[in-house]
Amino acid sequence: MREYDKKHENIDPKEFEFVQRDEKIYDKRFETKPIGYFKDAMIRFSKNKTNVVATIILAILILFSILVPIVTSKNYSKLEDQLQFLPPRVPLLEKIGIYDGTVYYDEQLVDLETYDPETGIGYPMGFNPKFIVEGTLETYQETCNTKEEFCVGGVNILALLNEDTSGTIQSKETYSFVVANNPEITIDIDSFSGENVKLEVLLSTDTTFDTIATITEAGKETLNIYDLIEDDVDFTSRVRYVLSATSEGASVTLNSIEYSNVSDVESILHTGYSLNDSYRITSGAVSYERFDGLYTRANFTYDAYGAAFYERREKAFSSLKFDELVSQYPDVCQLPADPSDLVGWEFSEGCPVKRVLAQSDKMTGPDGRDYYSYDLVLNYQVYRDYDEIPHFLFGTDQYGRDYFALVWLGLRTSLFVGLIVAFINISIGIVYGAIEGYYGGRVDLLMERFAEIIGRIPFLVWLSLFVILLGPGLLTIIVLMTVTGWLGVAGVTRTQFYRYKGREYVLASRTLGAKDFRIIFRHILPNGIGTIITQSVLMIPGVIFLESTVSYLGYGIGHGQSFKILGFIELSGVSIGVLLSDGRTQIIDRPHLIFFPAIIISILMITFNMFGNALRDAFNPSLRGSE
Amino acid sequence: MLRYIIVRLIWICIVLITFLSLLFVSIRIVPEFPPTNEDQKEIYYARQEKDGYYYSELITDPGEVQKIARGERNDDWYYREMSEGYRVYKPVPIIKQYTVWIKNVVTEFDWGLSTRVKVNEPVFDLMKEKLPHTIKLNMLALIIFIPVGFILGIIAALRKNKLTDNIISLGVMIFISIPAFVVMLLLVMFLGYQLNLLPPQYPSSDITGSIQLKALVLPVLALSFFPIATLTRLTRAELTEVLTSEFLLLARTKGLTRRQAVIRHAMRNSMVPLVPVIIFSFVRLVGGSIIIERIYSIPGMGRLYLDALTLNSFDYNLILALSGFYTSISLFAILIVDLSYGIVDPRIRMGARK
Repeated sequence: MREYDKKHENIDPKEFEFVQRDEKIYDKRFETKPIGYFKDAMIRFSKNKTNVVATIILAILILFSILVPIVTSKNYSKLEDQLQFLPPRVPLLEKIGIYDGTVYYDEQLVDLETYDPETGIGYPMGFNPKFIVEGTLETYQETCNTKEEFCVGGVNILALLNEDTSGTIQSKETYSFVVANNPEITIDIDSFSGENVKLEVLLSTDTTFDTIATITEAGKETLNIYDLIEDDVDFTSRVRYVLSATSEGASVTLNSIEYSNVSDVESILHTGYSLNDSYRITSGAVSYERFDGLYTRANFTYDAYGAAFYERREKAFSSLKFDELVSQYPDVCQLPADPSDLVGWEFSEGCPVKRVLAQSDKMTGPDGRDYYSYDLVLNYQVYRDYDEIPHFLFGTDQYGRDYFALVWLGLRTSLFVGLIVAFINISIGIVYGAIEGYYGGRVDLLMERFAEIIGRIPFLVWLSLFVILLGPGLLTIIVLMTVTGWLGVAGVTRTQFYRYKGREYVLASRTLGAKDFRIIFRHILPNGIGTIITQSVLMIPGVIFLESTVSYLGYGIGHGQSFKILGFIELSGVSIGVLLSDGRTQIIDRPHLIFFPAIIISILMITFNMFGNALRDAFNPSLRGSE
Repeated sequence: MLRYIIVRLIWICIVLITFLSLLFVSIRIVPEFPPTNEDQKEIYYARQEKDGYYYSELITDPGEVQKIARGERNDDWYYREMSEGYRVYKPVPIIKQYTVWIKNVVTEFDWGLSTRVKVNEPVFDLMKEKLPHTIKLNMLALIIFIPVGFILGIIAALRKNKLTDNIISLGVMIFISIPAFVVMLLLVMFLGYQLNLLPPQYPSSDITGSIQLKALVLPVLALSFFPIATLTRLTRAELTEVLTSEFLLLARTKGLTRRQAVIRHAMRNSMVPLVPVIIFSFVRLVGGSIIIERIYSIPGMGRLYLDALTLNSFDYNLILALSGFYTSISLFAILIVDLSYGIVDPRIRMGARK
């Protein structure tokens, strides 16, 4: 204001001129255009830049939610378990190493067969070494005391507990001892602890277990069975080891037990895990635990996309499908000279089938044709007709569906439900509020009391009522959100009616003989429509908010549901709430499944609210900043 | 005033009874979910008979017994095998069940037994057991959100249209928009799992020490964001309005400093519309904590409610009792709001005639 004043101080009188000294202007048209109610609101709306930006973002979100599911070339409806849980891969970002489709795995168990003790490198189990990103594989060993196969080596300690003086372990398997084989048991004991500790070895040649040897000193001891028992007969028996001592807490540390020439096998060696797993405690208060084993683990970065699209084994691939598939690629899929025997055949590069591992027996069907299937390895990328490995921007979900499309699909569902509910609420609210406000008096009082009762019941109680009566589903959501949702609109409409119903033009209309219906909908309602519109727009984010909450809890839209509306709009059973609820189970390893839908819905809600507020400010400048 | 309170209390009773009756009748129309275990079922139906919801007949006629043994049974009835035949439990008509239920609840405060969540345990005992967790959580959130909301609102109002105000307003917009469960999920994800700063799940009660305190941080944060945002926005709006009013100008012209004027005159006047917001926020908090309790596995009332509302395994008695609990909280909160108007602003006399 002040600047304006300064600019217009001391203007030279010569600069003034008469605009219309010689013209008559009273019957001239205005050169400026008239500014109506909506245009005025529009001008006010566009003045606030933040809100305009918010509105544009909102429009983009809505556009995406409509277009992405239609335009996308990626699969978002069918299950494709090969592509399960792929990480996000974004075209430009992948060059700088963010969202490049690799996953960092830590503490994965190493396949001990591939482990090379010299270099200290081994490949993790269940992963294709080809797709471990070069230079990221680190293998390390850590001690473990767990009863697991991959916890290798170490000792087993048999210890007495609770003042007990003896305890027994017994082999789970029964071994057969044959005189001619000259069976031996070699026990390697690391150490004893305690007073008068001894380990007895027991076998049963007939029905009872007899002690055949007693060991009191650490070291390797080889027991020749038939030197130790009296009868030279063949027998089968489990093997028992009894630890006894005169002091509490005595123990024996076992390195290994080896059975030679037993059960027709040259040698059975029990160490580490097998030493623990092959025996169970049969009597006495003892513990039999593993100590000082070693886990070999690896940390590495894995190219999940490469691995997923590399190959896929199909154990029962029908021969009909196989023939059809091969005939589609006649140039690259060269069959061997004898096409009837394909087992072991390697196809050349570019063919959807890589190699055939086995072939099932032929069955002749009723039509005389042979039916059989192959066990083969497919080149997944060619098989699925991907020219290049695709970019799943948000990764894929547990069913291998494109998460990017799913998020927008979910958003579309949420928005659509929001619109339906808003429409119903507005319709009920306007009619209810109009009747209340227009008739007033006792009608108003009664209807207000009714609205009050409904409005005072907590949302959760309504939820329980409708879940019990209707079960989960779209209908429940809609009913749940309309049952209290219209109250706001009704309230606003009622106030608007109280404001306008006493005006002169209403009286004039009534004098002219207009019916109540006409006065309500033609004369009063259009005056209050701005306020009602803004109230309604502000309601939509609230509805989406509730919808996602209810769906998250599992009472709303769920998997496997789809709805046709007006015959052509199909809504799938995916909404943001459902995605979040599914993502909850993967929150530790795959946080992006929570992150993306959460961010998208947050942006939607923020921009929607900003848009609604901007709209309210535009229609009702007097309310600006309130609420 | 007393008369007004009495009228309001009667009104509360009417709403409560009407709605609970509606719920009760709906529950009796849909299929029942008695305990699944046969022994527990026996106890349950015996108790139902004693309470007056069922009556039983002993069937000893061989022909009838044969029929029942073959499986010709009525789905609504419960057949208990006895040495001499079958004891059949049949429900009494709904209207009679309803009167019995009202009698049980009003005279003995007996809400029945739980059927699925903790079989054959009185539901009210179950609720008593879970209540402390919920109260602890909500009270903490209340203690945090009121001062924080106020202070942020006051700062925003005093620095209106400055950078501080804009930042606060943006924050308010964000936290008012994002659903509490999304906030909770993001918090658990980042602070719980990714950064390992706080426990990602509520520890069981036998783990003691600082972890119990740490475990309250995330749920209380997630719960208080929304009320803080609402309170900040409203405080800001109210205070800006009061700050431009004439009596404040008068106060300043009398010679009060800005600080004195704001604290003595502006604050109290801007309080009037805030009291209801605080109380309603609390009601919302209690309801909103349900989903937070679910995400964070807190053994509170909300978890209990959702457990009772497990699909195809509804625990009706528990649902009824919990609905009664939540509805009365909301109704009493509204009463307190209305009464508090008069205390904060003596010009308002509730229930006064014109």
